[in-house]
Amino acid sequence: MEQAPDGQKVVTVTGLRKEYELGGTVTALDGVDLSLLKGSYTAVMGPSGSGKSTLLNLIGGLDTPTEGSVRINGTDIGEISERDRAHIRGTEIGFIFQTFNLMPRLTAQENVALPLVFAEWSRSKRTERAKTLLNSVGLGDRLDHMPKELSGGQRQRVAIARALAPDPALVLADEPTGNVDTDTGDEIMSVFDDAHERGNTILLVTHERRIAERADRIVHLEDGVRVRTETLGGDGK
Amino acid sequence: MKRLEGVRMAGRAITGHRLRSTLTIVGIVIGIATVIAFASFGASVQSDVIGEFQGTSASEIYIVSGGDFFSGSGPPGSDGGFTSPIITTYDVEQIDAIDGTRAVIPRGSVPISSLTFRNETVAPRSLTATTAAAFEGSISEGAAFESGEREIVLNEEAASQFQTNVSVGNTVEITRESTTTFTVVGITSGPRGGVSGFGPPSPEFYVPVDPHYRTVQESPTLGIDQRAYSTVTVVADAKQITQVKDAIEQYINTDSDAIRLAGDNGEVTVQSTEDVIGGIQSVLQDITRLITGIGVLALIVGAFGIANIMLVSVTERTKEIGIMKSVGATNREIIGLFLAESVLLGSAGAVIGIPVGLGVGYAGALYAEVGFTLPYGWVLIAISMGITIGIVAGLYPAWRAARVDPIEALRYE
Repeated sequence: MEQAPDGQKVVTVTGLRKEYELGGTVTALDGVDLSLLKGSYTAVMGPSGSGKSTLLNLIGGLDTPTEGSVRINGTDIGEISERDRAHIRGTEIGFIFQTFNLMPRLTAQENVALPLVFAEWSRSKRTERAKTLLNSVGLGDRLDHMPKELSGGQRQRVAIARALAPDPALVLADEPTGNVDTDTGDEIMSVFDDAHERGNTILLVTHERRIAERADRIVHLEDGVRVRTETLGGDGK
Repeated sequence: MKRLEGVRMAGRAITGHRLRSTLTIVGIVIGIATVIAFASFGASVQSDVIGEFQGTSASEIYIVSGGDFFSGSGPPGSDGGFTSPIITTYDVEQIDAIDGTRAVIPRGSVPISSLTFRNETVAPRSLTATTAAAFEGSISEGAAFESGEREIVLNEEAASQFQTNVSVGNTVEITRESTTTFTVVGITSGPRGGVSGFGPPSPEFYVPVDPHYRTVQESPTLGIDQRAYSTVTVVADAKQITQVKDAIEQYINTDSDAIRLAGDNGEVTVQSTEDVIGGIQSVLQDITRLITGIGVLALIVGAFGIANIMLVSVTERTKEIGIMKSVGATNREIIGLFLAESVLLGSAGAVIGIPVGLGVGYAGALYAEVGFTLPYGWVLIAISMGITIGIVAGLYPAWRAARVDPIEALRYE
């Protein structure tokens, strides 16, 4: 899969290394290589502290690597300005977090439309897009609800809709079922499955094998090093 | 992000904490309102007093014994405690002879114990003795008195202070050592040399110097007793006012009875209307500046209030900043959002503070009975102050917000 032509690669990670100064140098990632093809569904697994979230943050342009590079659709996001990186975060990448991270004073619809505000979409187009996405995640009747009026599962579905709003090249999810019960987790994962079926490229970090098995392949990290890759059959479900 | 969206989001953040935002705005409202209230009140008083001078007292020169217009005597014609009657009839005649002088109007106080009109008695401390020239152009009813007669002219405030308004032809009884009947011959809207400062004019009664004014001094020049006055108003030809004033000053300071009678510690000042207006302006401007300065201090305190609340807001919304960054907000957009919020707070303070200040200024003008003058310049200054305070107070918090690390922020609880 990683020998595919560059044109099909949404993400190319090369020799990625990240060190933190926490009373001494801590190496969170130590020379990780990874490619994500367009439309692929990849899960990253590993024990706590293995560097899963760091990998996601670096690929998402929230952080810059100590060494190595991350290319999103050919652009090395470590080499561009913070302003351009912000633009890529807003248009090419959709984030989904374990703690939902919705804006508390915005309605569900406004939360979904938020990336489109920074991407300078018109108000009417934003509203229309947010409505469509909330309908697609089964929250068409919760458009004007505030996050505190929604259940955990509903909040995460709003977060997924927000991640999909700018039609990003890549969806990054960090333990998306970590804060919900098993049934709700399954519901959320079925939303990911739908997104995958519609052609979205997904990179999912989880420590739950059951969740990771829905992906096409599982990349295992340990102590900041990619130790193993499992390729799952079919659509990974 | 489009600017309007930024303003809208900032507005949402402000309304999200109504009480806190309101209290922050109140600080700015107090500052702006104080500045505007005193600026408008000062402007109103200034234009009222100056308007009065320019309307009735153009081309006048005041000779005041015992200090200048402000320091001792009060306005010409008032019975100030520090004036002394040292400007003799000889002086008046000498001044009258100066080229360019149209009239010389002496004024003096005639102490009385009471004044009765139709069984209604009032007790002014004194009558004002002057000459008929004082009423030129200011008689609204009847005529000026004749010298040597028992005639009296009232100003409108005096005429209307009785239950029945006093009219020309009525008589009033004045008690000094004995009671004398005076015939009312005229009502004046305000004689020359009778500027009363700001506020409503007080009731005044005018009688001819001859024979009713009896204060005398021995003229050092002539060696005989002569009537002596504390203030004299000179009406000069408008085109020659500077020359006339110079000539009067020259006379007063060298050859006059007044300067000799004043002695070493005494003083006789000569001021033109322009000098007086300049003096009034200077005093009012100083007062206005002082109180406006206090308002500016209040504004500075308000600015610290905004900065403080914005810093709290940045800390509270750390996670939101992280979320916005993760969905594409640039540092500049984050700065813009927080700056918009502080500018909205400052502007809201100005928008509310200006009408409050104008209201207080208007109430002050009503209380002081002067015409209200809208200080347009100050309104514009207040608006720009509100915006500037918002920007200055918001800059550092906005910069802090932009520096928030998105990863740390997203973990922030």
